[in-house]
Amino acid sequence: MNAFQYATAQSAESARELAGARGMYIAGGNDLLGLLKDYLVPAPDILVNIKTLPGMNQIQRGDKTWAIGALVTVAEVEDDPDIQETFPGLHEAAAEIASQQIRNVATVGGNLAQHSRCWYFRQRDTVCLKKGGDLCYALNSDNRYHSLFTGNTCISPVVSSLATMFAALDATAVVLRNGQETRMSMNDLYHAAWENPLAHNSLNAGDLVTRVEIPVARGRSTYMQVSDKHTFDWALVSCAAAADVDGGKLSSPRVALGSISPVPHQVEAANAFLDGRTLDDATAAAAADMILAGAKPLEHNGYKMPLAHALIRRALSKLVA
Amino acid sequence: MPSWPSNTKYIGAETQRIDAPQKLTGQARYSSDIQAPGWLYGMILRSNLPAAKIGGINLDKARQIPGIKAAIALGDGERTVHFYGEELAAVAGTTKQACLDALRAIEVDATPLPFVVNETDAKKDDSAQVWQGSPNFSQPSTREKGDVDSAFPKCAAVIEGFYTTPVQIHNPMETHGNTVSWTDDGLTCWASTQGIGGVRDSFAGALQLDQSKVRVITEYMGGGFGAKFNAGVEGILAARLSREAKAPVRLMLTRFDQALAVGNRPSSFQKIKMGALADGTLHAFEMDNYGTAGFAAGGATGGGGSGVELPMPYLYRVPNSRVTQTVVAVNAGSARAFRAPSNPPASYGMESAMDDLAVKLGVDPVEFRLKNDPSPIRQREYAIGVEKFGWKDKYQKPGTSPGIVKIGVGCAGAAWPAGGGSRGTQAEAKIFPDGSVELRLGVQDIGTGTRTVIAVVAAETLGLTPEQITVRVGDTNFPWGPGSGGSTTCPSVSPAVFDVCNNALQQLQTLSGMADVRGDNWSAACKKLGVTPLNVHGQWQPGLSESHACGVQFAEVAVDTETGLVTLKKVVAVHDCGLIIDKLTLESQINGGVIMGMGYALYEERVMDNLSGVVLNPNFETYKLPGIADVPDIDVVLINMPERGVIGIGEPATVPTAAAIGNAVANALGVRVSSLPITPAKVLAALGKVPPAVTT
Repeated sequence: MNAFQYATAQSAESARELAGARGMYIAGGNDLLGLLKDYLVPAPDILVNIKTLPGMNQIQRGDKTWAIGALVTVAEVEDDPDIQETFPGLHEAAAEIASQQIRNVATVGGNLAQHSRCWYFRQRDTVCLKKGGDLCYALNSDNRYHSLFTGNTCISPVVSSLATMFAALDATAVVLRNGQETRMSMNDLYHAAWENPLAHNSLNAGDLVTRVEIPVARGRSTYMQVSDKHTFDWALVSCAAAADVDGGKLSSPRVALGSISPVPHQVEAANAFLDGRTLDDATAAAAADMILAGAKPLEHNGYKMPLAHALIRRALSKLVA
Repeated sequence: MPSWPSNTKYIGAETQRIDAPQKLTGQARYSSDIQAPGWLYGMILRSNLPAAKIGGINLDKARQIPGIKAAIALGDGERTVHFYGEELAAVAGTTKQACLDALRAIEVDATPLPFVVNETDAKKDDSAQVWQGSPNFSQPSTREKGDVDSAFPKCAAVIEGFYTTPVQIHNPMETHGNTVSWTDDGLTCWASTQGIGGVRDSFAGALQLDQSKVRVITEYMGGGFGAKFNAGVEGILAARLSREAKAPVRLMLTRFDQALAVGNRPSSFQKIKMGALADGTLHAFEMDNYGTAGFAAGGATGGGGSGVELPMPYLYRVPNSRVTQTVVAVNAGSARAFRAPSNPPASYGMESAMDDLAVKLGVDPVEFRLKNDPSPIRQREYAIGVEKFGWKDKYQKPGTSPGIVKIGVGCAGAAWPAGGGSRGTQAEAKIFPDGSVELRLGVQDIGTGTRTVIAVVAAETLGLTPEQITVRVGDTNFPWGPGSGGSTTCPSVSPAVFDVCNNALQQLQTLSGMADVRGDNWSAACKKLGVTPLNVHGQWQPGLSESHACGVQFAEVAVDTETGLVTLKKVVAVHDCGLIIDKLTLESQINGGVIMGMGYALYEERVMDNLSGVVLNPNFETYKLPGIADVPDIDVVLINMPERGVIGIGEPATVPTAAAIGNAVANALGVRVSSLPITPAKVLAALGKVPPAVTT
């Protein structure tokens, strides 16, 4: 990798200052160091260690809202008994991420901000659309791991398991931008990638994810994914769902899917359709149809359609089980 | 002729690896751990294009990077690059980063050329040519027996299938590489190799050195699977860098490099037609197969055949057969011998066809095999496996397992025609006056437990315990031993150790004047040596080893018909390898073979990109290997056949696994996924659940 300065920040303000125009933050570093070693992103002048920022490694358990600090590790999310009780889907999502070693180091903020896993983006010798080239190789060649939906000509999907679950929990990322707290839904957080092939999320240089706020509004939640392998593998499709359930009847349901779109894939009409309904197989299937309507399967990723359909139905029935 | 003792204490029992403490505590020094005094890092610049005309390579800027001590280009003047990852130049420097920076500073004048990376495309008339002016494929070779064309009409049932297997990459845990020190006194290489003798000879040949001036050391190494027999381009480069820098150079490849240039198992595309008579006897077999061994189509294989041509119709007796095979070149790294070359793809194609035909005939797949497999050993193994696996209870008609997650079972047989001893194997024993024993053999332990095998045979013969034997291997200064390939190490070293130990007993009897020097008498007898240790030589003797192990495996899978995910639940592996030396390391070999076969069945595949010509999955993120959560319950059942002598097991253990899993998946679904690896995408496609692409 290229040479860079290294500094440790003691406050969010100083982190922003230290980073300047061409700096980057480092916490767990799982994703960033790989990007730098393979020269996949413009070299930063400075890496600013943010692991020291006060308060950002806390889980705050409020009555109406929980706040999970961006520096909380994925393993801490996985292991927290209260999370397992209150947001079981979040526990499940964290447990599916990578390996134990990576979860021990990876942070919630880093998981949300991680870059594309598209194998053309990650290949050091291809200059794809996302790296400023003029061709989306995936669109024209091997797209087995790519999106069914996109708003532009890049089909690299979001792969953050936490983002998918947070979307279903209607969580909000709190981002420090130019000294101000900006609140972003999961859709907001990735929206730029929907529109712009060069983006993988909506964060600008210098933006710092400080925490994620989750409303305590849905008593049931679940996350499931299917990968080629049984563990330590990216999801081919992931599905998160959350709702309150009363006598089999869903209220405020939300469903989100990962690995099929540059943003956590959500269809509000399907959420509205499910709201107040008693779930049965036909209802679940109808919701899955609505969620996948308009998908554009490509030459090699059409299998994601039946897979996503199955996961939606299973996640919904698990909610009411 | 010598013969193995019949009542044994250690041979055939369970002995823990004698070097386990060293490995577990990190004291074992692997080739990649070697730090020769003053050593430098070495690195290789590889082509970022799959095909190119190289006008020249300018190293000036690289040489100016602080810390860089040597830089060399491969080849002078113009040359053609034939695959993504081909070696262009190399540098040596005091730090890793200096080398990385230097690689980026090398200027390569490269003009891209047309390329083809897909073997089916490469067969077309209008394909780019891997070797300009030459076709991409060989003249098909045809083997014919009987009269195929008139045989098919006599068959009661005929099936046709197209079974394909991908290019598989060896991916040993320790990457390829060496530390090389080349001075006026000669060359010393600490190599990650499965053949120290072969490495010595290839250095001597390539650098025009006397073989006596080259020493190769491999104390511990982390696997090779057939891809590590010679010095390799990377070894020769390390030597040249060492010469120029006047310092030892450690050049270990990266995981990225492993996917490109140091070998793989060729692909296969097997179009098979097979028929049986009404009584279930195989009668006619026809196959047209092609596959790729990379750009050189086998020319650069490091230790054996390219493995494109398959030994069909494999295990079975078929009176009428015609087998046509074509080796196709593509712009990709060359194949090398890979654990049982040609056999796993042959097994997959043939055993798939066997099950398809059994279904068509309406007979039990095991019964069908018993009818057509001429091997009495496998017949015995099937009988054992059927019991152990519970085949008769578990086997159901294809696709009849109820529910969304369907259970299926399958089986397949193995053969490995080699696996015998290497006649030239030698051994040396040093018997010290204090009773301690040291054995020296110029073989290497590639992780299979060779040290332990040597200790077990020596302890048995001398009447001592394995812990009392100091085993030294992995040095060309020791008496010659063969490369560890073809499942030959155990049947090579066991007789040589037996021989040297018997010689030691004889000589010690003479020197000590004691009639029995074994066991309890050992210490007293050795004392009589005075101050002079006894040096004894021995060598491989006939009658103590054999070749050709068999084996059968059974697999049980659960297949989720909505998500396509295959879960391997259980494998029963019934194997023979003659006289068992150490049950523990033997079982370990079979476990490893099953897990590797499982990777071949479900996960592994080198993915080449048609658009750019690069390898898309040069890492363990997307080149998928079985993890602990994927590995099933593996039940190893061994048949001890002391009357056959020692036979190697490394290869047969991995041969039938993928075929058995493929058959189990077909049995679960009622349709066959006829292409490895069996991914969720392919399962859903086979079930007809995948919608067509939407084109806009």
